[in-house]
Amino acid sequence: MREVYIIGSGLHPWGKFPEKNFVEMGAVAVDRALQDAGVRWEEIQAIMSGILIYGGNAGHLSGQYIESVFGETGVPVVNVYNACATGSAAVRMAYNSVAAGEVDTAIAIGVDFSPKGFLSAKSDDPRQDRDVLRWYMAGMPNPVYWALECRKRFENYGDTPEDLARVKVLLSQYGAENPNARYKKRFTLEEVLHSNMVCDPLRLFEICATSDGAAIVIISADRQKIKAADKPVKIAATTMGSAIYGDPTIRISALSSPAVAEAPLLSESYSASRQAYEKAGLGPEDIDLLELPDNSSWHYLQYLETCGFCGEGEAAALLRSGETEIDGKIAVCPSGGFSSFGEAIGAQAIWQIVEVANQLRGRAGTRQVKNARVGMAQTYGLMGNSGTTILTI
Amino acid sequence: MSMEIMETMEGKIPRLPDLFVWTAEGVKIRSAVCRDCNTYFFPEYHAQHRPGCPRQNVERVLLNNRGRLASYTIQHYMCPPPFKTTGDITPYGIGLVEFPEGICIAGLIMESDLESLKIGLPMETIDYTLYQDEAGNDVVTWAFRVIK
Ligand SMILES: [Zn+2]
Repeated sequence: MREVYIIGSGLHPWGKFPEKNFVEMGAVAVDRALQDAGVRWEEIQAIMSGILIYGGNAGHLSGQYIESVFGETGVPVVNVYNACATGSAAVRMAYNSVAAGEVDTAIAIGVDFSPKGFLSAKSDDPRQDRDVLRWYMAGMPNPVYWALECRKRFENYGDTPEDLARVKVLLSQYGAENPNARYKKRFTLEEVLHSNMVCDPLRLFEICATSDGAAIVIISADRQKIKAADKPVKIAATTMGSAIYGDPTIRISALSSPAVAEAPLLSESYSASRQAYEKAGLGPEDIDLLELPDNSSWHYLQYLETCGFCGEGEAAALLRSGETEIDGKIAVCPSGGFSSFGEAIGAQAIWQIVEVANQLRGRAGTRQVKNARVGMAQTYGLMGNSGTTILTI
Repeated sequence: MSMEIMETMEGKIPRLPDLFVWTAEGVKIRSAVCRDCNTYFFPEYHAQHRPGCPRQNVERVLLNNRGRLASYTIQHYMCPPPFKTTGDITPYGIGLVEFPEGICIAGLIMESDLESLKIGLPMETIDYTLYQDEAGNDVVTWAFRVIK
């Protein structure tokens, strides 16, 4: 396999943009990525695109719709869905295509808009779609699942409401300084602890919102393009994992879980991250910054353990010690995280990769992690989907 | 299934079928167990075998009526549709109940004192009337309550 680099990236800021359609948002990000990479559209040899589940026919064929804006060139366009790890799948396919020598330069596209109001069931037949059951029979929106796992942490490790609130306080300081973030307010511990309880113990500001956004990376093994690029970033590994039998997590869409664990909690993310460490020949101790999927404060704590940045039950102590801050041992979500951006299902995995790349390229301004040389982006999608990308300079 | 197990109860209709039954010992969750890999499924039609399992000996079973509370949350906002209940239940409890068979099942907790919930409490499976249909039947789901 050849060495493969991210030579350019582009974002459409995160927010709510009811006046725009997803193709327009995607095109803004593609334009920025092409300009950043110094590449013309006709030089893109493969398009790997994450689909939008709320975008109808066009959403399911997002790659073709965005291609048509820039001019159809006949190159392969593949549209893919892996829940919140959708972008990981697009990047992995683009990487594999380039690394294998099938093409020299490929683009990975992630763009999403969320529907008005709440996310809910997408069908009404439980025999076809088990997800129906939780909506009809148990009244369980997504955060309930996180709260059920979070409660176990409180019981097993003594994590506290202050720990959950501290995550939001920290991330809000970074979000305030990130021009692409949706939420810019700096929170105090008191404000978070007094926000409305949503599903005990998770409060309103400890759960991420849903947003619209777009994120693009251009990936290449073309020596001239790499040489011409502004601080290209090497992809040391980009992997995906699914769940492992015996995982005790109560997983979104399920109404049952094994009582006795035979696999790690969040085994899909355990699997993706361990594959990446092996492939990159790097471990958590080598990583300077980590973008993890902070859908809630529970995720922030749990992922530090799942990905091996500390031992089981030690995440809250690591947070309290300050070692997860920008100048700490491992800078966690210096972008501001989903906490400051909100999640945009098909786009967020690529956005995380762009944020990591920006740090390694020294483009993070006041949020810059000093001497950052190795960064990791970790995703988490429902029903056993996860992706890990490790980037180096 | 034997005669005293009822798929419906007079005046009560499950909102979705094949998930629980009424027995002389109370409401029981329907499950299926694979005797080859000793895995319980819920719903019974959603298989989750151990890798390598020959998958030849799956049978439908009923879970015990009683278990212990493995985790819980108190939901402070009504779940959006298609969830539907005419009961004024917000805030409402949702629990994960561990059954002796080795499977945890999630569901509503019907408990007046939500503040007293604690991991480890003994729980039993009951039914809960979500709403009444046009014919006046109770449309029900399974739920859990603390055994006092
Ligand atoms: Zn089996």
